Amino acid sequence: MRTSNNFPQTAAGISKNLRAPMAGLRTYLVEDSALIRENLIGTLEELIHVDVVGTAEDVPTAIGWLRDGQNVCDLAIIDIFLKRGSGLEVLQAARATGKPLKVVVLTNFASPEIRKRCLELGADKVFDKSNEIDTLLRYCERIAAGEADDSTHAALGS
Amino acid sequence: MSLLSRLRNNPFVLPLVVVTALLMLAVNETSYWRSREALSTMNSVVTSRYMVQRLLGLIIDAETGQRGYLLTGRTEYLEPYRNALEAINSHQAQLKTLYEHEPRLQADLERMRPLIERRLSMFAEAIAMSETGDRQRALELEMTNLGKEQTDQIRAMAETMLSAETSRGARAFDGMLNTLQAARVGVAVMLVISFVVLVLYLRQALRLQAQQRAARAAIEDERNRLEREVMLRTKQLTELTRHLQSAREDERGKLSRELHDELGALLTAAKLDVARIKARVVAAAPDSAERLQHLAETLNSGIALKRRIIEDLRPSALSNLGLVTALENLLREFGERCPAQIRASLDPVSLSPSAELTVYRLVQESLTNIAKYANAKTIDISVSSRDDKVLVSVVDDGQGFEPQTTRTDAHGLLGMRYRVEGEGGSLSLASAPGRGTRVEATLPLHGPPPSDPA
Repeated sequence: MRTSNNFPQTAAGISKNLRAPMAGLRTYLVEDSALIRENLIGTLEELIHVDVVGTAEDVPTAIGWLRDGQNVCDLAIIDIFLKRGSGLEVLQAARATGKPLKVVVLTNFASPEIRKRCLELGADKVFDKSNEIDTLLRYCERIAAGEADDSTHAALGS
Repeated sequence: MSLLSRLRNNPFVLPLVVVTALLMLAVNETSYWRSREALSTMNSVVTSRYMVQRLLGLIIDAETGQRGYLLTGRTEYLEPYRNALEAINSHQAQLKTLYEHEPRLQADLERMRPLIERRLSMFAEAIAMSETGDRQRALELEMTNLGKEQTDQIRAMAETMLSAETSRGARAFDGMLNTLQAARVGVAVMLVISFVVLVLYLRQALRLQAQQRAARAAIEDERNRLEREVMLRTKQLTELTRHLQSAREDERGKLSRELHDELGALLTAAKLDVARIKARVVAAAPDSAERLQHLAETLNSGIALKRRIIEDLRPSALSNLGLVTALENLLREFGERCPAQIRASLDPVSLSPSAELTVYRLVQESLTNIAKYANAKTIDISVSSRDDKVLVSVVDDGQGFEPQTTRTDAHGLLGMRYRVEGEGGSLSLASAPGRGTRVEATLPLHGPPPSDPA
């Protein structure tokens, strides 16, 4: 199923290149699909100044990383439907740390109920994996540029 | 006993009863007619004895009257004499009739007749002599030994006849005694036979009863066996249905996960690639950017299709957001397609994952049925817990149906029943034409009391 392609390698290469000159948006990624993870990392690092500081495939790893006081990130991207456990727990744990980070949910099925639930639990944004990738990228761009998302929301559109 | 056992299961009991009854009748009739004949004979003996004695008496009367006349010469003595003469004739005639069937007595009577005639003619001769004035001679004639001899002969004859009558009467009496004795024996024999017949009949009846009891018991056994068989088969079928249902759900879940994990990742990765390529080529090659946009839309369609299939296979919200959210999701989507007003009261309840899926499917199946047939205006859906039970109900005010006439497409609800029972619960279905439909399920609570799934 998982076909290899050139993008991850390419992305990794770019990432290394980009990391040296400037500090990008420190991002933590919780995603159980290696394919999406690698592609997403590649895309984020290629298109935006994003520095992926860590990834997790499952809930305990993610929560452990987030709770660790030495780990710092500006943005957490969390998938909800994980192989074991739910991204909602990670979302809660991230909020519970009290760290000043943006938490966004990237899900396969952003139904109104799921959006509502995620926002209730403290998510800043909810993006649908299939048709809101572009919106996610633009959002990340804005965060990376240090803009306050609320004020620039109208300008960037969705 | 061997005779009895041979007769026991015989078809002869009824003929035996008939024959016995006929024999009893014959014995009774015979004894009646014999007794009657004997009594008649005895009666005839009494009558004829009286007649013979009377005849003798009349002759004595005639003799006395005649002698009185001869001695006194007074005619009033002739009156009894003449009366006696007449009566003597009539008595002889009557005796002749009485002896019609008794030739011996008839012969005796015939032998006595000339004796009487001679004696009477002697009387008449003496009276005639006296009337002609020769009364003395007439008296002498009468006083001779001849007259006494003749009377004695008549008397002896009468004695003979009386003795014959006596023996005839005795014979009739003996005959009657014999008849009575025979009847007595006959009745006793018949009674014994009747008793035997009764016993045979009772034995046969008891045997028949025992056979019937045995037959009934055999039928009962067979019925019980069939009942057990049906119960066993039903149990097997129920288990098979449950197995098929759970196998189907497992398969759907597996397929759904595969589509989600594998196909979903592929499509998302493709979308990400599109985004990266787009960023590179949008300025350099505007034509390619257009094709790229088209590719992105095609991918979106594929993703939407995949999502529909996944949601159809197994609602993703159920495992991630819990039953209440999954049901809200279902109701919202249903509400977009169906004009009916939906009122939902959904309490968080604690159920096992498979029971949650069962409840979800129950509501889904009920809604599908309502959309297809009910034409309902309002639908009430409730999930609540009471004590250690979870109550689920779907009630509509649609046109309902006749629960007895199971629709061929009601297999969905039939399957639901098996599923709910498989979870240790029960399902009830109430409906009537024009009265809406009420589907209610009760399932056992699972694990700790319900808490916020977050």
